[in-house]
Amino acid sequence: MVVDDSHAIRHLIVATLGDVGDFELFEASDGQEAVELARRVRPALVLLDIHMPRMDGVEACRRLRALPETREARIVMLTGTGIDQEEAARAAGADLFLTKPFSPLDLLRLVSDLSAVDREGAGPAAQSRFPRP
Amino acid sequence: MGEPAQDQGVSTTDVDAMLAELVTLRKEVADRRTQAAAAERQLDRYAADLRATFIAERERTEALHRSYMATVRALSNAVEARDAYTGKHAERVASYGLEIARATEWELATQPEIEFGFLLHDIGKVAIPDAILYKPEPLSVEERRLMERHPVIGWEILRDIHFLGEAKVVVRSHHERWDGTGYPDGLAGTAISLAARVFAVADTLDALTSDRPYRPASPLSEARDIIVAESGTHFDPDIVTAFLTIDEGVLERIRLEQQ
Repeated sequence: MVVDDSHAIRHLIVATLGDVGDFELFEASDGQEAVELARRVRPALVLLDIHMPRMDGVEACRRLRALPETREARIVMLTGTGIDQEEAARAAGADLFLTKPFSPLDLLRLVSDLSAVDREGAGPAAQSRFPRP
Repeated sequence: MGEPAQDQGVSTTDVDAMLAELVTLRKEVADRRTQAAAAERQLDRYAADLRATFIAERERTEALHRSYMATVRALSNAVEARDAYTGKHAERVASYGLEIARATEWELATQPEIEFGFLLHDIGKVAIPDAILYKPEPLSVEERRLMERHPVIGWEILRDIHFLGEAKVVVRSHHERWDGTGYPDGLAGTAISLAARVFAVADTLDALTSDRPYRPASPLSEARDIIVAESGTHFDPDIVTAFLTIDEGVLERIRLEQQ
C-alpha cells in the first residue's frame, strides 16, 4: 500500500514497482485514509510518507501497529533528512525508513525481497535478505 | 450615449481582449496537461526500464550464485567420493555449521562464503596418500606431519578463486584450537576467524555422532557434554554457549537426513 499526499510521488512509486512482485497495489493520500483502507485490505507492506495533512505518517504508523488487522504489516516510512525523523519513524514502530529523495532501486530491492519472503514462507534465508534497522 | 458598454465600465474591445486572453489561457492549460501526461508516460518508461534491468540483474546474480554453489558441491563431492565411511560428512557439517553460525551471529549464516568453506574444509585431503588417509593404525610422526598439511594444501588449491572469500580462511583454519594448540598456524582466541571457530564445533559434533569402524556413534546428549567439556580449550566458549541454545530436534534431523 502506498500512502503519500503527493500524487506525483504515488505515481512514481506505483510506476517503479509495476509488476515486480505478485501483489496488488492500493493508494491512500493521508494517514486517516490509509488506516481505514489498511483495515480492509490488510496490506503486507505499507510505504508511508511521514508528512501528510489530516493524519501524518507517525500517527498512522502508531495506529497500524495498534490494530490487530494491521499489526503484522511491514511498514516502511518515507522520511525527509534528519535524525529526528528517523527516530520518530522508529519510535512509531516502522520497520525501515527510506529517506526522500529515495532510490527507486532500493525500493525495488526491498519490495521484491519482501514478496520473496511471502512466496517462500518466512524461511531464515529469505528473512535475512530483508534488512531490519 | 452611443457607448453603452462604457457605461458598464467595459468596452467591446475590452471584452474581445478578455475573451482572447481566456482562449489563450485555456490553450495553455490544455498544453500543460498534455505536457504533464507526456512527462508521466516518459516516467513510466523510465520505471519500466529500471525494473526490467533490475529483474535481469537479479536473475543473473541468482544464476551466478547457483553455479558457484554447484561448483563448490562438485569439488566437495570429489573429496567425499574418495572416502567410503564418512559418507556425507561435508554436507552434514555444513548444515550443523550453519545452525551454529545462526545461533552465534545471524548475519554470519547469511554469507554464502561461510557455507562454501564448510563444504570445502577437507579439500586438501586430495593430496594425502590413501595409505595415510585410511591407515587404521595410529600415524607415525612423519605421517601425521603430512596429514596435518591438508588445511594449507586446501587453502593453496583454492587461493585464486576470488568468490570463495572467507571460505578459504575456513579451509586453512579449520583445525585451529581456541587455546592456540591447533594447526597449521597455531592461532588462538579471536585470531581464529569466527567461521572457523564455528566450524570446529560442527566438525566435532559430526565426528562424535557418526559411526566409525573403531567405535559406534555417541548419542547427541553425550556429544554435547564432550563439547561443553572442551569449551575454552578446543572451542570458543561463546560459540559453545550459542550451540547449547539450538533445539536438539534440529540437530537430530540433520543427522538422520544426511546419512
